[in-house]
Amino acid sequence: MSIPQIDDKEITRELWQSRLPVRFILSDEDTTKVNRSESPEPLYLMLTRHIYFPCIVEKISRYYSNYFKGNLNDPTNNINLNNLWFEYESIPLKWHYPIGVLYDLYTSSLSTSSSHLPWQIIVHLSKFPESELIRFPDIECIESHYMTTLKEADALKHKGQIIGDMQKRDHKQLWNSLLQDKYEGFWNINMKLMAYTENLKYFRYIPFRIYILDKPFIQKLFSPYDVEHNKWLTLFDLLQYSLDHEVKCEKSSNEKKITNNNVEDYRVIIHGVEPPLNTPVQWLSEYFSHPDNFLHICLVENHTRR
Amino acid sequence: MSTNEGNENDSFSVDASNSAANNDEVNTGSVRSGPSNDSEGGSKVVFLLKAAGGAPILKKKKWALPRSKTIGHIVEFLKKYMQLDAQQQQQLFLYVNQAFAPALDTTIGSVNDCFSSEGTLVLHYALTQAWG
Repeated sequence: MSIPQIDDKEITRELWQSRLPVRFILSDEDTTKVNRSESPEPLYLMLTRHIYFPCIVEKISRYYSNYFKGNLNDPTNNINLNNLWFEYESIPLKWHYPIGVLYDLYTSSLSTSSSHLPWQIIVHLSKFPESELIRFPDIECIESHYMTTLKEADALKHKGQIIGDMQKRDHKQLWNSLLQDKYEGFWNINMKLMAYTENLKYFRYIPFRIYILDKPFIQKLFSPYDVEHNKWLTLFDLLQYSLDHEVKCEKSSNEKKITNNNVEDYRVIIHGVEPPLNTPVQWLSEYFSHPDNFLHICLVENHTRR
Repeated sequence: MSTNEGNENDSFSVDASNSAANNDEVNTGSVRSGPSNDSEGGSKVVFLLKAAGGAPILKKKKWALPRSKTIGHIVEFLKKYMQLDAQQQQQLFLYVNQAFAPALDTTIGSVNDCFSSEGTLVLHYALTQAWG
């Protein structure tokens, strides 16, 4: 064949390498408390989409600590690096969602302009929103969040058998490869988690989460293969099933706000990409999952785009 | 690990004098016909709480909550219910499948949709990390 076959594996490498340029600026309120003559310049960073904010927060707090020498952690001005948090369009950014998921969900849903880059995030050093944001005080906390999410994914895919049979050092290698941006080291282990068990040619259930603005994420049980009709199910099937099921639950709980379950009313974004809705879910799960083995799917309702 | 398998029969007892009417608390107030056999059957999620890793055993095992309540809500409730603050015990972990601890902002509805088995969701609680 004259045209070289494109190896699907290359897609996982492309996704691994995708970055977001971010511009951090200090909140107006905290800027008034700076005890140097000049205000902090914005801080620009290229961030890996699939990483979490706690993995890079050290850099940011170190940068701002220079501006608060002397009055840092002074109780009278409430500035405390342990209270650092990020905001975008009045929304506190969750520490335990992948950075790219936060970007896809919020910039597409909320921004008035079509170009969001660099992504502008406001840094706060006071007034931590305790009721809205779960604290992840150190990198060990986010590591344990990552591991438990990975275990949940494997519970869905293989009843937890593969992750359960792995050595502790394999778990460590997954996390360290993520932190140190080592694609090969990560996939050497991760490919075991992409295997099939029980003589199946697919995962028992697909680990996925659906994010819609102002709602808790939606997670359902969904098998990628319809045994009865002998066919692979698609991204569209997964979304239709999940939204319909969610609406049914909302109605039986008498909720005031019922989710729109018309898939066509949404833009569907995974890893910043809008995959065709007829893509088989099994393929997506193998090639488009985040390093936690979940498909993180952002749904942006078309009319919320102004 | 200690569980309460032998004691299931008093799990339905609902204390009418407690705050069962308060929707905001974990309660079994509106459960009449036992557990809803799947997530579409009822408006509330019915679940069993079992002790793990030597945690104090609760007399009441069967609980019900609206779908939108979070794992964090249950953790906070249990800390108060078991008066852990008084014992200077800060942490409480909730496990699914005796394998993983869902993030605190996960709703009990989605945990139930994915991990209830034969209509029943079982959560294990521990005061130290019991699994992983």
